[in-house]
Amino acid sequence: MVKILIVDDSKFAQKVTASLIERSLDDVRFDFASDGEEGVNKFRSGHPDFLIVDLLMPKLRGQDLIKKVKEMDRQAKIIVVSADVQTRVEDEVSKMGVLSFINKPLNEEKVKEIADIIRNDVR
Amino acid sequence: MTEKDSREDILKELFNIGVGQAAGTLSDIIDKKIVLNVPSVKILDIGPGRRELEKFLSQVASGAVMVSIMSFNHQLQGVVSLIFPAEKMHRFIDLCLHEERTETTMGFTDIDYDTIKEVGNIVLNAIIGELSNMIRIPVTYTLPEVCVLDHARAEHFMSDYEYRLILIIMITFDIEGTEIEGAIVVNMTLKSLEDILNAIDGVFHGR
Repeated sequence: MVKILIVDDSKFAQKVTASLIERSLDDVRFDFASDGEEGVNKFRSGHPDFLIVDLLMPKLRGQDLIKKVKEMDRQAKIIVVSADVQTRVEDEVSKMGVLSFINKPLNEEKVKEIADIIRNDVR
Repeated sequence: MTEKDSREDILKELFNIGVGQAAGTLSDIIDKKIVLNVPSVKILDIGPGRRELEKFLSQVASGAVMVSIMSFNHQLQGVVSLIFPAEKMHRFIDLCLHEERTETTMGFTDIDYDTIKEVGNIVLNAIIGELSNMIRIPVTYTLPEVCVLDHARAEHFMSDYEYRLILIIMITFDIEGTEIEGAIVVNMTLKSLEDILNAIDGVFHGR
């Protein structure tokens, strides 16, 4: 069983992300957080195997969430899924040790990339 | 064509590219083909901009409008709004959610607002973010907001006295026979436009 925490302030994005990943991966369980602060708390209490994180969120930005999570666990596995298409933002976030930076909206190809990352890591 | 016209022409083209990208992302969200008409881009000073916006609101969006708004700051400062007639939004939201609504109410649910907020976030990021990439000027966004305005006026999309410039991008797209006319309005400072135009000069002269 792979535990995935999706941190996104949009319920729509949470639902789309979870249902697309569910189609590509067996034996996954999702938990959800609607802002960065809740994301940090749920990471601390739930110890998910992977985090899928948006960047532009209330209370705590995705970048700050990544920083806090990495301070707690350098090996935390984080995939960023964001609408921000700026290359500078992608460069900045990639240097924080995330597994991948993927632009919204998700489609089958992008979900396959996420599923492959998770599948290869679990093996 | 003067140098000013030429630079504005390039700016319009950059916004056209952004709108094209946004249409592509919308098509991904609803998983259907979107036929996009060539958008009309106007760059206007505050007075003519207000008149043009009033014309759009009275002709295309005389009823309620649904608006998704984001501010951007850093070197470029402004507010960008995505405006659509509210009457067309139920169908559009159903397409995004891949669901058919059972009740025929004119109101909007929390899920409707959330969906339009996320769609607005993606579309506006595509337009402003691609422009930022092309001209190599970073922007920082505020959280997107969504509202329904029963009697929208141009003033609703002009946030600050210092934001003297209005870019209006009129868009019309067709999803399976449903034609939706809308507008993207960027209200920003003159300095931001100068910075953008200077950056365009730099990019196209290889600096």
